[in-house]
Amino acid sequence: MAIEIPKNLDELPTTRPRYVGRGIRRVEDVGLLTGRVEFVDDVVLPRMLHCAILRSPFPHARITGVDTQAAEALEGVAAVVTGEDARRWSLPAQSSPEGWGTHCIAGDKVHYVGEPVAAVAASSRRVAEDALELIEVDYEPLEPVADPFKAMKPESPQVLDAQETNVMLDRVFTWGDVDGAFAEAAHVFQEKFRWNRLGANPTETFGCISEWDPMSLDLTIHGSIQSPGMFGLGRAATFSLPSNKVNIISHAHGGSFGGKGGTRGCDISCLLSRKVDGRPVKWIEDRGEYLLSGGGQAWDRHYEVALAVDAQGIVSGLKVGLVDDLGATGEAYGAISAAKPLAAFTGPYTIPVAQYDLKLVATNKLPCGPYRGMGPPPHFFVLEQMMDIAARSLGEDPAEFRRKNFIPADQFPYTIASGNEYDSGNYGEVLDQVLALSDYSALRAAQVEARAEGRLVGVGVANAIEPGVFDWNAYAIVGMPGTGVPEGATVNIDILGNATVRVGFSLEGQGQYTLVCQLVADYFGYEPENVRVVQLDTQSAPPSFGPGGSRLGVAITGAVLGACERIREKMARVVAVLMQSEPENIEFMDGKFTLKGAPGAEMTVAEVAGTMLARSDLLPPDIDPRPEATHVWTAAGRTPADEEGRAKSYLTAAHAVHIVQVEIDPETGMVEIQRYCLADDCGTRLNPDTVEGQTEGSVVQGIGAALLEEYVYDEDAQPLTTSFMDYLMPTVFDAPKLEMVAVETPSPFTPLGAKGCGEGAIHTTPAAVMCAINDALAPLGTSAREVPAAPMRLWKLIKEARERASDENNNY
Amino acid sequence: MKSAPFEYVAPSTISGVLEILGQNDPDEVKLMAGGQSLMPLLNMRLSRPALVLDLGRVADLDFIRETDQGVVIGAMTTKRAVEDSELILREHPLFWESTVAIGHPPIRNRGTVGGSMAQADPASEYPAVALVLEAELVAVSARGERTIPADDFFVTYLTTCLEPDEVLTEIRIPRLAPRTGWAFQEVARRHGDFAIVGATATLGLEAGVAVEPRIAVFGAGDRALRFPSAESLLAGQPATDEVIDEVAAQVAAAVEDPLDDAHASADYRRHLAGVLVGRVLREAAVRAAEASTGA
Amino acid sequence: MASEQPQQGGIRLKVRVNGEQHESVVDPRMNLADYLREELRLTATHVGCEHGVCGICNVLVDGQTVRSCLMLAVQVDGKEVLTVEGLAEGGKLHPIQEAFIEEHGLQCGFCTGGFMMAICELFDRNPSPSEEEIKEVVGGQICRCTGYNAILRSVQNAAAKMGASRS
Repeated sequence: MAIEIPKNLDELPTTRPRYVGRGIRRVEDVGLLTGRVEFVDDVVLPRMLHCAILRSPFPHARITGVDTQAAEALEGVAAVVTGEDARRWSLPAQSSPEGWGTHCIAGDKVHYVGEPVAAVAASSRRVAEDALELIEVDYEPLEPVADPFKAMKPESPQVLDAQETNVMLDRVFTWGDVDGAFAEAAHVFQEKFRWNRLGANPTETFGCISEWDPMSLDLTIHGSIQSPGMFGLGRAATFSLPSNKVNIISHAHGGSFGGKGGTRGCDISCLLSRKVDGRPVKWIEDRGEYLLSGGGQAWDRHYEVALAVDAQGIVSGLKVGLVDDLGATGEAYGAISAAKPLAAFTGPYTIPVAQYDLKLVATNKLPCGPYRGMGPPPHFFVLEQMMDIAARSLGEDPAEFRRKNFIPADQFPYTIASGNEYDSGNYGEVLDQVLALSDYSALRAAQVEARAEGRLVGVGVANAIEPGVFDWNAYAIVGMPGTGVPEGATVNIDILGNATVRVGFSLEGQGQYTLVCQLVADYFGYEPENVRVVQLDTQSAPPSFGPGGSRLGVAITGAVLGACERIREKMARVVAVLMQSEPENIEFMDGKFTLKGAPGAEMTVAEVAGTMLARSDLLPPDIDPRPEATHVWTAAGRTPADEEGRAKSYLTAAHAVHIVQVEIDPETGMVEIQRYCLADDCGTRLNPDTVEGQTEGSVVQGIGAALLEEYVYDEDAQPLTTSFMDYLMPTVFDAPKLEMVAVETPSPFTPLGAKGCGEGAIHTTPAAVMCAINDALAPLGTSAREVPAAPMRLWKLIKEARERASDENNNY
Repeated sequence: MKSAPFEYVAPSTISGVLEILGQNDPDEVKLMAGGQSLMPLLNMRLSRPALVLDLGRVADLDFIRETDQGVVIGAMTTKRAVEDSELILREHPLFWESTVAIGHPPIRNRGTVGGSMAQADPASEYPAVALVLEAELVAVSARGERTIPADDFFVTYLTTCLEPDEVLTEIRIPRLAPRTGWAFQEVARRHGDFAIVGATATLGLEAGVAVEPRIAVFGAGDRALRFPSAESLLAGQPATDEVIDEVAAQVAAAVEDPLDDAHASADYRRHLAGVLVGRVLREAAVRAAEASTGA
Repeated sequence: MASEQPQQGGIRLKVRVNGEQHESVVDPRMNLADYLREELRLTATHVGCEHGVCGICNVLVDGQTVRSCLMLAVQVDGKEVLTVEGLAEGGKLHPIQEAFIEEHGLQCGFCTGGFMMAICELFDRNPSPSEEEIKEVVGGQICRCTGYNAILRSVQNAAAKMGASRS
C-alpha cells in the first residue's frame, strides 16, 4: 500500500500539533554545552598515531626529489608517505568536470601552494611536525598562472599535465530567443562584476581517524564528515575498494557550511594507516592548513552581465557571462557551484529568456569547493545590482521596480527559463511585509536629509530565491549525471512504547535531531523526551545523504513521517486483529488506536507495541511483529536535464527580501550597517526558532562576504591570507541587530509544506548590502562592482569620483 | 600547528633572568612576557628559540605606581591591570583608552605593557602612545640599568634598541601639563584587530592657540612615527579646521614608505594617516578647550 | 613553581583543574589546550585556530579568561583552572548553559565553551553588564553559526537568571 505522507500540519494524526511548528528546547544542547558530545579530535583509539602533512610552498613546480630518510629515523615516527605511495595505492581523485583530479599527494609536480608532498605518522602531532622539517624536497619552480584570463590563453603555463588546456568547460547555454529580446529591448544595461574568493571556515576544521587493514582491506574512517555516504563512496573509488569495504563513522561536527573538505588529508591518513599495518592514524587539519589548502574556498568569479528591459520597465532578457576560477583541479566540486544558479537563474522575476556563457578555468590556486549557497549568492549579487542599475536609470524605486517584475502569486508552480520549477511563493507579500517592518518611506526620507548634509547613506532592497532540496540533475552541465537523493530513517518503538529513530547523519548544528523528536512526538502523541535519535555508521544506516543543499529538514521529515506511517499501518492491522475487525475500521489519533463506531475500544501505541513484541503468537503469520519501520524519502518528479541543462531539479523555492541601511565614512571607506530588516518565506516553519537561527547566522556570513572575507592571492598565486589575522571572520561587532518577519506559503510538493531553508540569507545578504552601498555612492556617480567592499576599495572609488567631479568643474 | 621543541626557564628574580641571558647565546633565547604575540609565532614555528625565558614569575615587574613625575608601570603589568587601574584612568586617560583598544579581554588578561613595547609591532597602539606621552623605558642588563626615551626606543619593524642581553623592566610616563587635550583613534577592519592605521595626539590651548602639540601615528610606517615638523607647524597657531587640515596633510606627506599589504595599500595608509591625525587633533582641541573653560 | 634553570624534556607541573588537583610531567612546548585535552582528557575545551584569534579554547586561569592555545601548560603550575567541564555541578546546568539553551545561543556548539568561559569572567567582574560591555566580551570570540544575535540574548538571559539567584 502506498504511504501517504502528511502534506500539511492538519494531516498529522493529532488534534493539534504540540511540537511541530514551534521552537522547543533542542535535544542536542545539553551534550554540546557540557562538552559530552564527542567531536572527532576527542576520540583516542588504541595504538593511534598522528599525521602531519608537508605542503608545497610553490604554486607550480616540478618535484625532482623527495628524501624522507632523516624523518623516518626520528624517534617516534612510524611511517612516511610520498607521492609514490599515493600512486601505488590510490587513484587520482574523482572530479567535476571529469579528468581534472590528481593524486592526494603530489607526484612529479605541485599545482598550488599547500598541495601535499609527503606526510608523517608519529606518536604525537608535535613529533609528526618535527619530522616534516626533516623531509627534503627538491623543487624546480615553474611559472605559475593566477589569473584565469591569462590561463585561458594558449601561451599560458599549463596547470595539469594530463590536460591540454586550462579551460575545464566553455559553453553557452541559451534558453529562449535571447538575441531577439535584446534586439527588441527599449533599454539594455551592461556591467562587469568581480566576486573574490571566500570560504566556509567552520569553527571546527576537518578531522579524521583512518584504519585501513592491509590484510582484509577493510577501511574504517571516523571523521567530521558532512555527507558520510558520499564520502564513503568517494574513498571506495579512490582506493579501488568494493563500497561495502568502507565504513564511515561520522562524528558531531563544528559546523560545515559545505566547506568541511578534508578528502585529501583523509586519503593521506588512509595511506599511512595501510603503511603501518592498519593502526589508526588521526589527522586533524589545523587552521593554518584549512586556510591554506582546506575545504570551502569558493566563488572566485569574474562576471559580465546584460539586462534587457522593455518600454514598460519589464525585464525581458538576461545574459550572464561567468569566468569562474576553479583553482588547480576539479576535485572539490567547485564546478557544481557554477551550475547551481540554473535552479534559480532569473531569481524571483518573470524574465522569459536567458543565456549563461560559462567558462570554468584552472589556475595555480587551491581547488574551489562548496560553500553555503553553492554558487547562487554571487549570481544574485550581480542580478540584483543589475536590477538597481536599471531602476536607477529609469528613475524607478528599486522596491517597486522589482515588484512589477515578480512572478505573480497565482502563477505557481512556475517554470523559469533555465528549466527549474518553483513550487510556490508570494513575493509581493514578502516585499510588503519588509517594507512595513523597515518603515521604508521613513528610511528614504532620512536618506534625503542625510544626503543634504553630504553624508553617504544608502538603502538597499534586494531579494533572492533559495533553491531547496537539491537534486544531482541540477549539476548535469558539469558532468554530474543522475537524479535522486534519498534520505532514510528507521523508527522503532520499544516494549514500553518509547521511540528510537536511527539516522545516517551526525550533529552539525541545524537541529535536525530536535526536528525528528518533534515529528515523532506529534505523530504518536508523545513528548519529545520519549524519542531518542541514534546515528549509525554507513554500513548500518538507512540510505542517507545528510545535510546539504538545503535539503535535510524536508527530507528527514519525509523519511520520519513515512516510517511513522508504516508503523501506524502495521499497528492498525495488529489492532484490527485484536479487536476482531478490519484495518480500515481502525482509526489513529493523538496516540490512540480506536475502532470506528465502538466507543471505548482503544489501544495506545505502547500497548500495541508491547503486544507485538511480547505476543507475536497472537498475530497472523503475515504480520511483521516488529513495531519498527524504515522509510526512504526522495523528492518526486525530478527530471533528467536536457541538452541545455534544463531540469526539474531543486524541489522548493524559498524567497526573501532584505532591506539594509548603511552609511559609508567617505574619508575611510568604512561601512556601518545601521538597520537590517528582512522578510522571508520558506513555507511551513517546522521549528521557527531553528529557522530564525539559520537566518541570523546566514545573514552574518553574508555580511562577511560583502564586507570582510577574502582569500587573497598575489600575482604569483601565493596565498596571503593564511591566518585568522588576515582572513577576517565577522564578529559580534559586525553583526547588526536583525529585524525579521516571516511569511508562510507552504510548498505543495513537500512533507508538511516545508521548504529548504538551511543555506538561507546568504543568497540575499551580499546583494542587499552591496545595493545599499551603491545607493549610498549614487550621488557621487560611482558604484562598487567588487565584493567584498573593503574600505580601501570604497575609499578609492570615492576618491576617484571626487577627482572626476572636480576635473569636470574645472573644465567649465 | 605545534611549536618546535625548546627548553624552558622561569626565573623568580631579575638577576636570575640576567644570569640565564649571560649563560646562553642571546640569539637562541626568546623572552616571553604575556606571550600573546610570541605564542602564535611559536605555534606556527615562525619563531624557534632554543630556550624560552618566561618573565611571568619574576617578582616586582607587575605594578602601577604614582611618582612625583607621573606614573611608572612595571613591564609585566597586564593590559587588564591597566584597564582596571583608576590611577591610569585619572592620570593618563589616553593610555587607558589605547589599552582598551588592544585586542580582546582574554588577550588583555595575558598581554603585558612591556611585551607590547618590546614587540614593537608597527601597528600596535602602545608605541605611538609612548611617543606622544614622551614616556621613558627602563632596561637592565648585567652591565647596569639605562633609561631610554620612547623616541629612541622603537627602531623599525619588530625591532627596538634593546640589546640582546637587556630586559625591559618599566615604563615611566610623565604627567601631562594641566589642561592638555588628548585623543586616540584607529581604523581597523574589525573591532579589536591590529589597526590599519591609528593616530594619537596631545595638545594644549591658550587663547585658542595650540601649545606643545604632539602627534604620533601607528600602522603607517615601519614603526610608530612622531611628526616634529608637523607639530611645529601647529604650535602657536590657532587650532582651526584650516590649520589642522594643513598639519594633517603634512603628516600624510611625511610618512615614508607606508606599509602595503592585502588589506591596505600604501596610498590608503598614507591617506588614513592624514585623516586620523586631523580627527585626533580636532578631538584633542575640543578636550583642551573644555579643560580650559572647566578650570 | 618557578624554574630557575633551563629544563628540557619533562617539567613537573601541579595544577588544580575544576577543583581537582593534578600532577603531571609535561613537554615545555605543550600548550595549555593540548595539556587539558591530551593529558587530562578534558576535551570540552575545543581548539579552533591555535593562534589566539577565535577564542574557542578559552578557559579561566585564576578567574581570568585566557586563550589556552596562547599559554604553555607549564605556566599554569600552581594555578587554578576552570574549563567547561567545571560549569555544571551536581547534575545541574550552570545558569549560563541554561540561558544558551533557552535562547538558542548555539547551533553546532563547537565554539560555545569559549563564549561561556569568557562570560563567566564577565559576570564575576560585573553581574549586570550593559549591552556594550557584553559585546566587548562576546566580540573576542568567533562563532560561525549563530550570527551572534542569539548569543547576546543568551548573555542577557543569563545575567537575569544569575541576578535573580543572587537576590
